[in-house]
Amino acid sequence: MTEGEVTGTRSLESFLEGDARPVSSPHAAAADGSGPGAGRTGEVVESSTTTLVAEARQLHAAPDFGAFVRIESDGRDIVGVVHNTRTQSIEPNRRPTAYGKTEAQLRREQPQIFELLRTQFEVFVLGYFDGARMVHLFPPQPARIHSFVFHCTPAHVLAVTADPQFLRSILEAAGLPTDELLLATLRQALEGRTRSEPGSRAYLAQMGSELSRLLRDDYDRLSSLVRRMTGWEQELK
Amino acid sequence: MSGNGRIETGSQRSRRGRVGVVTRGSLVEGLEMKLDPERNVEDMKAGKFVVIEGDKNDFFSMVTDMRLDATNAEILLHPPARSDELLRQVLAGTGTYNIVSLRPMLMMSKDPASRDFDDGPRPVKAIPSHFSLVQEAEEEDVARIFGREGDSEGKYFSIGSPLDMDTEVCIDMMRFAERSNGIFGKTGTGKSFLTRLVLCGLIHYDRAVNLIFDVHNEYGWRAMKETSGKSSSFVKGLKQLFGDRVAIFSLDPKSTRARGIQPDHEVYISYDQIAVEDIAPLQDELKLNPTAIESAYLVYAIYKDSWLRTLLSLEGPDVEEFAGEIGAHAGSLVALHRKLKRLESFPFMVKKLEGADGDHRGDCVDRIMEYLDAGINVVLEFGQQTSMLCYLLVANVLARRIHEMYVKKSERFYATQRPEDQPRQLMITIEEAHKFLNPSAAKQTIFGTIAREMRKYYVSLLIVDQRPSGIDDEVLSQIGTRITALLNDEKDIAAVLTGVSGTEGLRSVLASLDSKQQALVLGHAVPMPVVIKTREYGEEFYRAMGADVEDAGQRREQAEKERELLFGPE
Repeated sequence: MTEGEVTGTRSLESFLEGDARPVSSPHAAAADGSGPGAGRTGEVVESSTTTLVAEARQLHAAPDFGAFVRIESDGRDIVGVVHNTRTQSIEPNRRPTAYGKTEAQLRREQPQIFELLRTQFEVFVLGYFDGARMVHLFPPQPARIHSFVFHCTPAHVLAVTADPQFLRSILEAAGLPTDELLLATLRQALEGRTRSEPGSRAYLAQMGSELSRLLRDDYDRLSSLVRRMTGWEQELK
Repeated sequence: MSGNGRIETGSQRSRRGRVGVVTRGSLVEGLEMKLDPERNVEDMKAGKFVVIEGDKNDFFSMVTDMRLDATNAEILLHPPARSDELLRQVLAGTGTYNIVSLRPMLMMSKDPASRDFDDGPRPVKAIPSHFSLVQEAEEEDVARIFGREGDSEGKYFSIGSPLDMDTEVCIDMMRFAERSNGIFGKTGTGKSFLTRLVLCGLIHYDRAVNLIFDVHNEYGWRAMKETSGKSSSFVKGLKQLFGDRVAIFSLDPKSTRARGIQPDHEVYISYDQIAVEDIAPLQDELKLNPTAIESAYLVYAIYKDSWLRTLLSLEGPDVEEFAGEIGAHAGSLVALHRKLKRLESFPFMVKKLEGADGDHRGDCVDRIMEYLDAGINVVLEFGQQTSMLCYLLVANVLARRIHEMYVKKSERFYATQRPEDQPRQLMITIEEAHKFLNPSAAKQTIFGTIAREMRKYYVSLLIVDQRPSGIDDEVLSQIGTRITALLNDEKDIAAVLTGVSGTEGLRSVLASLDSKQQALVLGHAVPMPVVIKTREYGEEFYRAMGADVEDAGQRREQAEKERELLFGPE
């Protein structure tokens, strides 16, 4: 692949601005500006009822681990939580190699290699929104391929985490880094509450109690989880 | 729908006082409740009063026991550190939880329609379903069960308030007077105060006329209030509260006067008034042989009422001769004579009721009966004659004769069936009751008979004792209402609960009472057992009893008036 092929629409300088640039894709034009996908963070490229894989709009710009995301599909807002993010070569049989240079140097000297990478993130499905109400059930149909993925707004996060059911969904899912994911989601839920309401301590205790119920046979795990949560509300103030 | 109003009040209450939900239990063993995590287990004291809201009935229950529990033994092996506050908070109610045992005491239908048929609370014959809400009892609940003082019939008398509540627990004085009752408790736990309180109730509402054997001189005139500090204060006695409605009889007028009161009557007992049956219960005190009583009967067979006078008039050497005359065993009669000589040392014992100077002292039993018939309560003070022998003898002699008279009166009433012949209900208060009612004495003393036959002849007992285990089971099982301050001894606790069903829970309640001002009330006069903080015996109570609490100025005015009456105006 030569430099000429790639630079059809962009100036050379735009490659020097770090990773804050759109990943080239057929939807690139629609994604920018104010189209139906405005503000999206990714796009579904693999989909099943329980999990889906989305490609981030920008390289290295996937949502945070444990972030709540919303997928618009079939007129329904599916809600999930990001549990794994990976950045790799676009072509399966070509792997990036080590150059021994900093990223800034590489962007100046070999900008094209960043065009050959993509960031994908995996989403575990928690349920869907029925209007403003959170339904803790799998959606009847999985998200369609190429549906857009959006960050959940703080109001959405509050709605999803109001019911401790989301803890149970995460805890029972197979093949996830459950404990880490629980803590990450809880911390987000708490962040939203610390900002909006004073009862963050009560919320933490309520969720803790739910965990205690769920993990009644595994006191070690519970106590380690709860210990890691200790002091959060001070940190988040 | 009639249920609408109920549901509203129910939900109102659930916002205010929910303590937990019923999780398991049985009718026989009681119920278990899981305490809500936001509730502190330390607030659930034994004896506390809660209401279980079933589907059809409200169950009034008492907290009898509580337990700390955990779902997982791991938690108990590795308890959260002191600093792990969040973990402790998280575990509370889930991993670790509190179970409170409840004993349902009464049930009351929630449906107002059916409540009209079976008026008021009924004994528990059902249990609430799983997860029924448990609420703190409110004043209204307590009033629904125990009634309120100042009702139209004037039968409810407040004796205190439930634990942690500011409402009154009343006993039904009508039912209380109907049967024999007991007031128990270790020494220093407030038995005398409870007794005084109950007596005030009986007198105030005029439910029974009282004869009080006041061996420690604490009911008639003022008595000392035991306070933990050094300054002791005095409280008013019955005479001070009720004036003319109480008469003080004294066996030791000197001592009574020394305490600042003139007894209404001095009590003398002649030897002729003492029957062999009165000596029999003294066997222990006098260390009599079993044959002594037989010898006494022999003397009685010949000399009838004057048997004791005759026997005691003999001098030592003559007794053997006398024994020969009446055909008694000489040794036995000599021993009896020697031991009965002790009676001569009592100042109130007289040969004949006519005094030496000819004035008629009168039969004190007749006088007591006159007073009792007139509805005047009699306090019999023993002054310094506090020996057990004296107490037993006097109480027996008087009670036996009074009982005889009551039997006669009752029989006349049964014959004529005229309401004016109906005897007044009499309640006899005895302290140290185990001396009269221990298994061997109960068969011989008149008090055993009264306790057993009780209602038929309008006489009942108020038994005051610190050692209920010493009282005959047969008597205990007939006691109607028991008011019990703290007891520690297992035997005593078991004795107090004799004849009460479903006592397992009450045991722990009884052993955990405070040593002051707390009592468990159970039996005939209360619909369910309840732990109370006893009513304050003070100025407010005096006023409630209708006694005028006069100040110094009023008293001076009164004295002035009386002086004028006596000596005419200046």
